[in-house]
Amino acid sequence: MTALVRPRTLFIGLGLLCLLAIWLSLALGPVSLPLFDTLRAAMRLSGLPVAADGLEQAELILGQIRLPRTLLGLAVGGVLALSGVAMQGLFRNPLADPGLVGVSSGAALGAAFAIVGGSMLGGLPEALGPYLLSLCAFLGGLGVTALVYRLGRRNGQTHVATMLLAGIALTALSGSAVGLFTYLADDATLRTLTFWNLGSLNGATYARLWPLLLVSVGVAIWLPRRARALNALLLGESEAAHLGIDVERLKRELVFCTALGVGAAVAAAGMIGFVGLVVPHLVRLMAGPDHRVLLPASILTGASLLLFADLVARLALAPAELPIGIVTAFIGAPFFLYLLLRGRA
Amino acid sequence: MRLNFRVAALCVVLLASQGALAADLPQRWVSAGGALSEWVSALGGESKLVGVDTTSQHPESLRALPSIGYQRQLSAEGVLSLRPQILVGTEEMGPPPVLAQIRAAGVPVELFSAAPSLEALQTNLRHLGQLLGAETKAAELFDDYQQRLSQHAVRVNAARLSQKAPGVLLLVGNAGGKSLIAGKGTAADWLLEQAGGHNLANHSGYKPFSVETLASLNPEVLVFADRALTGEEARAALFKENPILSSTRAAKSGRVIELDPTLLVGGLGPRLPQSLVKLTDGFYPVKTP
Repeated sequence: MTALVRPRTLFIGLGLLCLLAIWLSLALGPVSLPLFDTLRAAMRLSGLPVAADGLEQAELILGQIRLPRTLLGLAVGGVLALSGVAMQGLFRNPLADPGLVGVSSGAALGAAFAIVGGSMLGGLPEALGPYLLSLCAFLGGLGVTALVYRLGRRNGQTHVATMLLAGIALTALSGSAVGLFTYLADDATLRTLTFWNLGSLNGATYARLWPLLLVSVGVAIWLPRRARALNALLLGESEAAHLGIDVERLKRELVFCTALGVGAAVAAAGMIGFVGLVVPHLVRLMAGPDHRVLLPASILTGASLLLFADLVARLALAPAELPIGIVTAFIGAPFFLYLLLRGRA
Repeated sequence: MRLNFRVAALCVVLLASQGALAADLPQRWVSAGGALSEWVSALGGESKLVGVDTTSQHPESLRALPSIGYQRQLSAEGVLSLRPQILVGTEEMGPPPVLAQIRAAGVPVELFSAAPSLEALQTNLRHLGQLLGAETKAAELFDDYQQRLSQHAVRVNAARLSQKAPGVLLLVGNAGGKSLIAGKGTAADWLLEQAGGHNLANHSGYKPFSVETLASLNPEVLVFADRALTGEEARAALFKENPILSSTRAAKSGRVIELDPTLLVGGLGPRLPQSLVKLTDGFYPVKTP
């Protein structure tokens, strides 16, 4: 595949798209604020001296509802897309997505445990209560991924194929454990579980945002530095090793970054499907397979796409709200079919 | 003369404060929770409702109002866009960060108990009455409700003396999918008990049934709470599909009762007493000589 768009043009285009997404995400919502009020409130929030008359409502909605939500969308979308690239690079397979190493199913297991079994854990500090779900999801994702990675190792080497199969097996195992929790759940927890599995940027608060922002900025800085190594890995593991890449270390880093990033994203916003799978493909279509472009471009595309999906989620049924997982799958699944059919022709 | 003047002044002050109070009451209401919205309507607050959640299906007219989605999954901006002066809901309402955002926007959020008990209902109605400025109406409604329930309890106790409590299973289903049986600790179990039935299921919560258990329990009465399963034909189709179900005593003797599934969520609603009467009618049929 040849690059259709030159990197510089691509980055300018994607940068503008991302800015547009941020602006729309801040400016649009079920509460219609006059454009001028939004602007003035934004200026006040960024510390500029603007008269506060009649801006309380706008400032509150912008600062406490839309801004954390936009930041959450940016971080989640970016980190999911980035992890998608990392996984497709690691497995050298375009069908790979972050779920493959078990991070999603592990997080789902952790969440199911927290939602259904959380009340059984007596003696937890009360301050932990609101964060129990996120914490369990994060630890579940990390734990299952660590197990998958461990199972893929033999004689100091990581066998990607073994890891893939171990990932499938552990995903099935976690699925059955989630099923067991579903069986034990009562009506209320069942609904919570269902909605959690569809993901949402709703109710974003700064307290939940900071850990994710920290992780995603870290991952977004770290992974693009390994672009050359990922390019070499495209040739095959032994070829990459001959080119002087420490392949074992690269694999470890890719799995670790994915587990950390996706774990944090899922913990903050629930399961959001298809972003990790579709965005790397979308960027490859535009810019080709060079990871030096693919990695940063995927962050921008993933972040913008998730913000647009969230706009649909919050506006389509206003004043009610759609879970965002429905929107991303609704866009993602047909696009994926298109890729499949196009490949066949 | 002087006294009269004082009394008159007092009257003026009282009237004024009454007026001020009425003006301070919230005029734009958003309500989440089926039973709660029903009570708001019953207390004459329906015209003040500007939005309800998806579980608020009764009275029929509420469905025309803007929907704020499922009560556990509210959106702060969505609710705020209706410019409410109050948000009422049961403890099931959430998620908590969204409620905090709504409170931060200056909209009071009032939580009510969803427990199926008369004490909870009394507290709820008193609270709702104050918020709607209809305290007397609320007290009347509660007294009436309590009276109907105690009359009903008397009837059930009398019936129990002459007849054995029938063994009942309550099946909850959705659109013809595999039904779940209501076990202990559910609102359905409470309802069966109040109506004088004996719930044969021993598990807790709503669980899918094994046909063998069903055959061995052999209920005398079956209660169906399924929105898709209404009417004679749907029931006949279900029995045809489940031979075990149709071999139970209930199916053979035709003692099958339908129950509105919306009664099973969100605490005690205004339609509960009449449903209890219907259930008891089915449990203790009048013997025609």
